[in-house]
Amino acid sequence: MSQWFLRGIKKGIKTEKNFKDKYKPYYPSKLEGKSDYNCPVNAIKNGEWDENKCIYCGKCDLNPTKDEKIYKINDAMPEMFKKSFYIYPLDSGTCGACNAEFNSIFYPQYDANRFKIFLSNTPRHADALLLMGVYTENMHDVIKNAYDAMPDPKVIIGFGSCALTGGIIGSSINEKFNVEIAGCPPSPYTIISAILKYKGDIK
Amino acid sequence: MQSFNKKNGRYIGRYKNYDAYLNKIVKLSGENEGDINEKLPGEMVFNYGPSAGGLEESVNFKIITPGEKINSVRVDSSFKRRNIKILNNNIYDALLKIERINGYHSASNSICFLLAVENALNIENNESNNKRVIEIELERIRSNLHIVKGLTESAGFSVPEKQLSYLIEEVSRIISEAFKHRYFFGANYINNVRCNFNNLNENILKIKKEFLSIYEDLLASKIFMDRLQENGTVKDINSTGPAARASGYNYDARLDSRSLFYESYKIFTMNSGDVFSRFMVRSDEIFSSIELIENIKVKENINKDYDLNKSGSGNARIESPQGDLFYHLDIKDGKINDIIMVSPSYINIKLFEKAMRGNIFTDFFFVWESFGIWISEKEVNFI
Repeated sequence: MSQWFLRGIKKGIKTEKNFKDKYKPYYPSKLEGKSDYNCPVNAIKNGEWDENKCIYCGKCDLNPTKDEKIYKINDAMPEMFKKSFYIYPLDSGTCGACNAEFNSIFYPQYDANRFKIFLSNTPRHADALLLMGVYTENMHDVIKNAYDAMPDPKVIIGFGSCALTGGIIGSSINEKFNVEIAGCPPSPYTIISAILKYKGDIK
Repeated sequence: MQSFNKKNGRYIGRYKNYDAYLNKIVKLSGENEGDINEKLPGEMVFNYGPSAGGLEESVNFKIITPGEKINSVRVDSSFKRRNIKILNNNIYDALLKIERINGYHSASNSICFLLAVENALNIENNESNNKRVIEIELERIRSNLHIVKGLTESAGFSVPEKQLSYLIEEVSRIISEAFKHRYFFGANYINNVRCNFNNLNENILKIKKEFLSIYEDLLASKIFMDRLQENGTVKDINSTGPAARASGYNYDARLDSRSLFYESYKIFTMNSGDVFSRFMVRSDEIFSSIELIENIKVKENINKDYDLNKSGSGNARIESPQGDLFYHLDIKDGKINDIIMVSPSYINIKLFEKAMRGNIFTDFFFVWESFGIWISEKEVNFI
């Protein structure tokens, strides 16, 4: 396997030190401006924009700012998670885009492991349950069993507009979330930024 | 249900109780897929999923095994079945939902849907179709990279896995710059595409160069080849997409598309029908997709309002990254009256079940990854 090691070394370091300076997506990001668009998910009501409801389709007159901070932190992170934070993702009823975007935070450009963020392969070793997708009847017990299997303390992260509000597809999983990460799907920038904020690593 | 002409053509999949052929949709009469085979003495049912490490989506496998060998496997994809309210929606509200049938193949789904709308309402679409080809080919590049990455991950080859992950993210960034969204959401309209192709060719050539180097390194690895060759072999006339082309069938909707033009496209087939053949077909298609994008000429965007408050029936079929994707629409006064969507994952799941028979546990993920199945597009119930 040494040949692969050498080939890897030859490519150099691909992880971006300041990845947010290099590239940022238009959608999803914080929207600004005014719009009287008749939003199909009611993300614009009385002139107010709701980042959790928004599916970032670009059909209204609000403009994307490339600001990735579209998340809400609802309580403080348990102190013991700050040294390492293990996340177990659970797909209740996604289109697949949320799954792909969550996985991408472990790609070389972002390398979430360097921020002490890790993927858990089982809820038994997880600190956080990351729920994505709309509510589906058949997944109800699976979600409950996964949550029950997690050791205390544990937190739940609502991921994407489907999990948070039902988006345009269905209804929300309707859990109380410790962290709400908006987007359809949330971009890797928003995900990492939200978790770092929750960990207290950024102001 | 709907007969398009007398000839059936080849089988392209199933939606609810309808079987779709190239030229005909047939209503099934109470056919039952049956439960998993009875297990023999000494065998047990090994339950894997619906939520477990290594699975990208929620799906359950019931595996009948005496130990190491897998005698039969049944995929239960029903866990994340979504009921999507689309009937009586107007075209653009419906399109927002269609984009989210399979987010990873959102361009294929939304373009196929729009082609069916344009067919139903007799709308000319010459201006936008080359841009749509670019979308679908970019999506195909990312999807095939994702599958090759999955194969290297299954083999425990961390270096090429990370190198391919890097390329996947680079392609996502190219898509994001060109279409303002990493998954093409909101980019497609009736005979129009929200796009900006500055630097597209330059960036896509970097992907080609990088992938070529990884591809050659993988082909030079005897260990990697040994894991793929003669693994998960399946040859079935009822195949679709890269799985069909890997077993010698020259099925490809790009060859017989009514409106998306692929003049210079040459089909690539292999004959052995194993994981290696599927790897080769997908890798070749990454290069051919890049070549198509390099050579395509796009027309200027036109901003025209179309009268969508009309009625009609239409259909469209395109080659999504995993095979035939088909939409049939019935539109009444601008609203969706009926919809049939046939995704390639239905056939690919059947092929996976066949390919796993007689195989062993350590080869499970190679075979699963090689078909590129998305449960999200299979488990959709339009209401």
